[in-house]
Amino acid sequence: MAATVIGPGITIEGEVSSDDEVIVGGTLRGKLESEGAVTVEGDAVVEADIAAQSVAIGGHVTGNVTANDRVDLLSGGRLVGDVKAARLTIADGAVFKGNVDMEV
Amino acid sequence: MAPKDTSIIAAGTVIRGRIQSDGDLEIHGHVEGTVEVAGHLVVGPDGMVKSDLAAQSVVVAGAVSGNLRGSERVVLEDGARVVGDVSAPSIGIRPGAKLRGRVATGEAPAAEARPARSPAAAVASKSTARQAPVVAPPPRVAAKVSAPPVTKPAATPPAVRAEAAPKRAPEPVVPALQKRTKKAQKRRAR
Repeated sequence: MAATVIGPGITIEGEVSSDDEVIVGGTLRGKLESEGAVTVEGDAVVEADIAAQSVAIGGHVTGNVTANDRVDLLSGGRLVGDVKAARLTIADGAVFKGNVDMEV
Repeated sequence: MAPKDTSIIAAGTVIRGRIQSDGDLEIHGHVEGTVEVAGHLVVGPDGMVKSDLAAQSVVVAGAVSGNLRGSERVVLEDGARVVGDVSAPSIGIRPGAKLRGRVATGEAPAAEARPARSPAAAVASKSTARQAPVVAPPPRVAAKVSAPPVTKPAATPPAVRAEAAPKRAPEPVVPALQKRTKKAQKRRAR
């Protein structure tokens, strides 16, 4: 209900923090924190560190991704940065360059 | 839910920085920085904005601390609290909205252009006999429009005078009272 939607036409330079779901379809540079789920959609460009409950990446992300629960790198997604999460899935067709820390 | 062009900053979301959008934007959370929207911008009842807002149309129902500029219009809804200047070709302030700041309807460049023309008109009016009363009012209006930079500095001197005035005021009052009392004492003595 109370999802924050950063649409395709929007560019944010700065810090975004939310206590609920965040859907990024546009461009975000800076920092993204959420206590809910973060979804980076296909055309989105995120140049920021992301910290959230869970993160789904379908667009381009440059930055470190930290999730309490899980990180899903979807098909078509591109991630350059380190991932720290309990669970990580990388779909076929996704691009990923970085380190993974699953707290083994 | 919402059209794809519409971005929503939900309640509970805080953004610090610069926001630029080609589409529409709804703010229900906290925003600090600058906001420039090509389309419609809505600040919801729970929205808290500390930044200048520029959009085609700006509709405010929440709290804004910053200047509002609409290329089409600005509307302050019931419950809106705005501290800042408002400028747009068309401005609506509904009952229940609170505003502290300057309001300028119409194009800002046009308002700036008027003072430049008015002196010429005033000169012309001086040369052409006594039509001055008819032509004079526009320069005064223009002066008011161009006054904003002057109003703030001008606001402080009256305050200083106001502070100075009480100091002067008691002086005559007290001696007057003393004189009266002295006279009264003399009268009493007599």
